[in-house]
Amino acid sequence: MLTIGKVIFKVTDIIILFAACILTMQLYSIFWFDGSQQGKAETLLVQFADNPPAEYSLNEDRILQLEGKIGSILIEIKQGKARFIHSSCRNQFCVFHGWLSVAGDSTACLPNRISISLKGTISDYDAIAGSQ
Amino acid sequence: MKLYFTTTHADHKIALLAALAITIHIIESAFPSPLPGIKPGLANVITLFTFIKYGWKTALQVSLLRVIISSLLLGTFLSPTFLLSLSGALLSLISLILIQLPFRQFSLAEYQPGAVGYAIVASISHMSGQFLVAWYFFIPHPGLFKLLPIFITFAVILGLVSGIITQLLINQIQCEHN
Repeated sequence: MLTIGKVIFKVTDIIILFAACILTMQLYSIFWFDGSQQGKAETLLVQFADNPPAEYSLNEDRILQLEGKIGSILIEIKQGKARFIHSSCRNQFCVFHGWLSVAGDSTACLPNRISISLKGTISDYDAIAGSQ
Repeated sequence: MKLYFTTTHADHKIALLAALAITIHIIESAFPSPLPGIKPGLANVITLFTFIKYGWKTALQVSLLRVIISSLLLGTFLSPTFLLSLSGALLSLISLILIQLPFRQFSLAEYQPGAVGYAIVASISHMSGQFLVAWYFFIPHPGLFKLLPIFITFAVILGLVSGIITQLLINQIQCEHN
């Protein structure tokens, strides 16, 4: 029993206060200093038109050559990242997008009807409202 | 046909406490919050006071009346704000009951927490209840959990403050037990 001024702190109160402080610190360590793989991408999904997406591992570096609707495109996979390096389309939005590196990142070449996205264990984005 | 409408002493008590809680709630909602989602929650002082003095049944009625009527007066009835307020109030009362249960069950009444302990429990559970509802219904995204430690830190601090206020209120107010 501890009395400060007119306020009585019972033993149980002090135990509860300590428990609350420990809980708070635990929450910080769980949600802030968690070295988990959140946001790390593992595979590249390539979708052409309405076909089901094809998966490529991001672990091996390679260049994919694909045939789109109006021509060929080249996709480079390097060190866990992916990008369009060549497209036969006019605007080249897909090429200018640059590297995709985080799970959930995606870009598309609409004239070729090809879209690519990165998949990881946990996606960092809930929805994409366009990054350009 | 005549209708007899009688009110008991308990009704008057609930009405008085609910009116106090509603007043505090509405005054508090007029002040801007320094951080979104963090409010002192002084209306919970009344709920806590009621819980400690008159037990959980009275506290539940006061708390529900407070949530419903102040939301009607503020124009947030059945809106997301109301849902958050309701979930917080209900979860904090449930956890107060659960904390008190063992002390009642095993007749350890003298060891049961005082106002400060109850206030911290109520504040943390109020915050987590609101947080879970916000996460489940409004922003179902794992990134939201990054905010949880900050919210719980404020809940502990504000719970401590409201517990001290409740204790001073209990010291100050002489009331009959029933």
